[in-house]
Amino acid sequence: MVTRFSRWIGAVALLAAAMLGLSACGGGGKGSSVTALFGTAPDSLDPGFGYTTQAAEPDWIVYTPLVTYGHAEGKAGGQVIPGLATTLPKVSADGLTYTLTLRKGLVYSNGTAVKASDFPYSIERSMKLNWGGKSFYTSNIVGAAAYDKGTVKTISGIKTNDATGKITIKLLAPYGPFPNVLAFPSSGLVPSGTPMVNEPNNPPPGDGPYMFSSVTPNKGYTMVQNPHFAAQNIPGIPAGSIKTINVQVVSTPQQEANSVLNNSADVFDPADEIPGSLLPQIESKAKGRFAEVTTAQNYYFFLNTKTKPFSSLLAREAVIYALDRTALAKQAAGFIKPACFFLPTELIGHPTGPCPYGDASGPPNLAKAKALVTQSGMAGTPVTVWGENQSPRKEYVDTYTQTLNQIGFKATEKLLARAVYFQQIGSAKTPNLQTGFADWQQDFPNPVDFYLLLDAKSIQPVNNQNFGQVNDPFIQAQLAALDKVPATRLVTVAGKWETLDTYVAKKAYAAVFGYNKSPKFFSNRIDFGSAIFHPVYFNDWSSWKLK
Amino acid sequence: MARFIVRRLLAMVAVLFAISVFTFFIFQVIPNGDPALRLAGRTATPENIATVRHYWGFDKPIYVQYVKTMGHIFDGSIVSYTQQLNVEDQIRADLPPTLSLSIGAGIIWLFFGIVFGMVSAIKAGRFTDRALTVLSMVGVSTPVFFLGAVMSYYLGYKAGIFPPANYVPLTTDPWGWFTHLIMPWFALSVLFIGIYARVLRNNFLDTMNEDFVRTARAKGLSERQVLVRHVLRNSLIPIISLWGLDFAAVIGGGAILTESVFNLQGVGQYAASSIGNLDVPPVLVITMFGAFFVVLLGGVVDVLYALLNPRIRLEG
Amino acid sequence: MAIDPAAFTPGTEFSEGPITAAPSDAARADVVGIGPYRLALRRLRRNRVALAFGGLFLLVVVLCLLAPVYSHDIAHIGPNDGRPNGTVTVGGKVEQVLSVNGVPIGPSWHSRYFLGADNDGRDVAVRLLYGGRNSLQVGLVAALITLVLAAAVGLAAGYFRGITDGLLSRAMDVIWSYPAVLLGVALGTSLALGGLDLGLFQVSGNSLWVPTVIIGVVYIPYVAKPLRGQVLGLREREFVDAARAQGMGSIRILLSEILPNVASTIIVFVPLIIANAILLEAALSYLGAGIQPPNPSWGNMIADGIHQLPGAIHDTLVPGIMLVLAVLGINVFGDGVRDALDPRATVRIEH
Repeated sequence: MVTRFSRWIGAVALLAAAMLGLSACGGGGKGSSVTALFGTAPDSLDPGFGYTTQAAEPDWIVYTPLVTYGHAEGKAGGQVIPGLATTLPKVSADGLTYTLTLRKGLVYSNGTAVKASDFPYSIERSMKLNWGGKSFYTSNIVGAAAYDKGTVKTISGIKTNDATGKITIKLLAPYGPFPNVLAFPSSGLVPSGTPMVNEPNNPPPGDGPYMFSSVTPNKGYTMVQNPHFAAQNIPGIPAGSIKTINVQVVSTPQQEANSVLNNSADVFDPADEIPGSLLPQIESKAKGRFAEVTTAQNYYFFLNTKTKPFSSLLAREAVIYALDRTALAKQAAGFIKPACFFLPTELIGHPTGPCPYGDASGPPNLAKAKALVTQSGMAGTPVTVWGENQSPRKEYVDTYTQTLNQIGFKATEKLLARAVYFQQIGSAKTPNLQTGFADWQQDFPNPVDFYLLLDAKSIQPVNNQNFGQVNDPFIQAQLAALDKVPATRLVTVAGKWETLDTYVAKKAYAAVFGYNKSPKFFSNRIDFGSAIFHPVYFNDWSSWKLK
Repeated sequence: MARFIVRRLLAMVAVLFAISVFTFFIFQVIPNGDPALRLAGRTATPENIATVRHYWGFDKPIYVQYVKTMGHIFDGSIVSYTQQLNVEDQIRADLPPTLSLSIGAGIIWLFFGIVFGMVSAIKAGRFTDRALTVLSMVGVSTPVFFLGAVMSYYLGYKAGIFPPANYVPLTTDPWGWFTHLIMPWFALSVLFIGIYARVLRNNFLDTMNEDFVRTARAKGLSERQVLVRHVLRNSLIPIISLWGLDFAAVIGGGAILTESVFNLQGVGQYAASSIGNLDVPPVLVITMFGAFFVVLLGGVVDVLYALLNPRIRLEG
Repeated sequence: MAIDPAAFTPGTEFSEGPITAAPSDAARADVVGIGPYRLALRRLRRNRVALAFGGLFLLVVVLCLLAPVYSHDIAHIGPNDGRPNGTVTVGGKVEQVLSVNGVPIGPSWHSRYFLGADNDGRDVAVRLLYGGRNSLQVGLVAALITLVLAAAVGLAAGYFRGITDGLLSRAMDVIWSYPAVLLGVALGTSLALGGLDLGLFQVSGNSLWVPTVIIGVVYIPYVAKPLRGQVLGLREREFVDAARAQGMGSIRILLSEILPNVASTIIVFVPLIIANAILLEAALSYLGAGIQPPNPSWGNMIADGIHQLPGAIHDTLVPGIMLVLAVLGINVFGDGVRDALDPRATVRIEH
């Protein structure tokens, strides 16, 4: 320990010296640079490991996958477009084979050429690094599960030809959203031979408009334009106009909001919450550079359909009638848009009709709810309400518990640390899982991703995401067909999804109370109008322009 | 003396061992606390979880995991669960705020503690003494995070006298470093000023009644010379040893509340967020690091104390 | 919340270092012919400041005990009744309890929301009193645990010496070197999730017993250490030898001969440990490892308040000031008790 300590001291001294050196040569030549503030650090900027939104946001414009999303707002931004591949994948008639061709003349930010075989290497690397979403690979690609177990050296289902750039991917079963899987930043290409370990300090080179020039984990990082990108002329992917993007991790949303408000920093992290007390000030002083944008994330209370009292449809209906959605929205400082359907507005398949049990933004109907509880015979049933112990999610559960008590249940809350919450309510061993808070933030803009949470096939003993244990033959029949529809043809089945989502609302399988709203908030240096707020990755950093 | 040091070192190793075992096992009582469940992500299948469990060695018996983890700590290769970042690198990066906070606060509380304590003792029984005593008691009774929050609200946010607390590196902006740290320094010091003022006051009064002080007076030394040369010097000895221990405790995680409320992003805040994430490796390393400082400085203080005060003999 | 390890004696490691065992006050007082405790009581009675602050603490306790009365008859709202969409009439105007942006209303100075609302639209004054019951209960019970266990450890280690002393002292060393807040938070976080299953009795995660036991254990060394020192001195005294010669067993000697002689030290510790226990509970709650919501405590009310800053400062100030008043009251009173029982101030615990 003593030697380690002296090494630490030495390192601190070195660090200080290095900082002095840096500050000496800093200064001039700021050019077009912006400072973005983040309240939470990314888990890792390495695309093979980064799983949080704070990681996906920058990784999207550093590691271009074979296919990616349009740089546009709204539904156009949810469309898959060709990235490093020449076209969207050609899918065989049975839906099992995906064929793509790599563009010619692609290079990484370090100047080395991009090869077709880098694709399987990048996928394998993400799996070796235990990327949080790797089930999308292991459950879909032939041989990926075996590779994950370590029994084989490569994924047998992916074949590539470096000379022609041809890439063929074999799937275990038809899976409509597979193009979305290919568009994950973790599917973004990195050079073959990149070490198979998480590199948070020194993320690997990629082929995208920007590259990481320096990273200090948990403190900040700097991105600069990739000198090799513009010449590659990839259609639909702009090279960006800001030369340097400095990202600083600051600790409080209050400070973050204040800095952007007084223009000492340029960008507020849309994944952070603006304190409610600062909103009036921001709305008046930052007119024209602040907006609230609805994102594809729902908030709901799961209702366990397998145990009392919510095995009763009447009891579930009563909960929906009684939900005080405007109160819950207030507790989110207004950053929740009251709603009743499971699929958020941003998604194809969001129903257009009225809510089945009372208006989402109207007052609750407690009298009706009480009558329904009495009618269901469940009045007086003890209910454990599960929730996270952090604000504002704690407050949602406080209010919801009271609502349940008002309509005749005997509800008590049980709040858990965020770190283990979803593991606790996803475990078959946890007793009294009757109802509780849940949310879903999309992995990709496809209703299939949301219906994972209501699919009977996803019920499992650990990390279960179907908290309500919903097992409905109609849902299963619909999903069996809809899951296969390729993401590129999603619009053609929009009506079917709407029918399914309306059905789920009628059956009251989940007490949805709203969708997330995120702040789009810039300093007066940035052109607010041209900055894209992307439906998948929030701020599109390559769309930023200085005024 | 040599025997004393050897015994101390052996005891230190035993204590650190016990602490490491205890810290490691604390987190085992959590139901569904298997880190693999968390690390695998929300959409993971049971097979994915099994791979992650195997990758990290969570499927091994708990004592094997313990031995492996300790091995990684000693060869410097230990990484956190949630971010897979080298824990010792992270602590190193978080040391500047913690050191800045504790050194600055240490100087402040020592200075004001001595001044207040001396004034109190000289004016013993009078109004000044009473006022300072009540003030010290208020300092001792106020939680630092409450004081810190109220300070940064009124002095920082409302009045704008001090910048919002956050750490600004000394090397990039010395003035910013200083102004950002003023509030945290004083918030952390208030408690210790209260303690030190009272300890010094009592020591001072005790020492004034000692024989050697009477002798000094009899020799015809002026009152000021007696107070400073003899009384203060002798009553400072326990204060200095107290300071050593408190300083060690503050560096070794004792500033966790101050760092959190002022968002200094130091070692303490790293510990707090790691505990929140149930990330065992950083918690383990920081706890051992803290305990190491406490035990080490405890030993040093004892040796110094014995050197300064020949009436005390070291056992062992 | 560093409890000051060195505040007792200059020695640092639990089992070693110089021990400033004071000649027992009780023994000295015998000479005068008046009972030591009566003497102390007389001294304490003369200390008006200490009595006044003791009264302040009692007042806080009484107020908190009256929480149900206040809730039921004055505020007409329960501690967990949130009205996020409610309204309240303040000065003839109807105001929202939570603004559109979720900022709670400040003190109304009326019966309802006298001290304002919190972010659930609950009545802060009502929660303050109910929270005080929890904070005080944890503080008092934790202090009891500390004192009983510390007395047992201190007496056994000092009296039996040898291997008993070695084992107990090492155990105390471990607790003592463990950064107190880190230990509390780590234990609090994991136990809040898992609860405790000790075979005979089970404690669920959100029970008040979890923070109580943690706080009780954390402070044991700070009391056990000086007790051990005193006992080491006492066991060599003539009256102990005499008792041994009469054939008294060790346990009897400890209880009837040694314990009364260290009782004054234990009494001195009572208020100090209670004050520190209340403070540590608040610190643990601030870091999310103390009393678990929805149970209110001063600590988690302050934590909730701080989370909402810069809005609704009353949510931080109200529980914070109440906590400072209670702790200040018992600290100054405790100081008076110490002055009365132990005028040479050999025992200190000032965290």
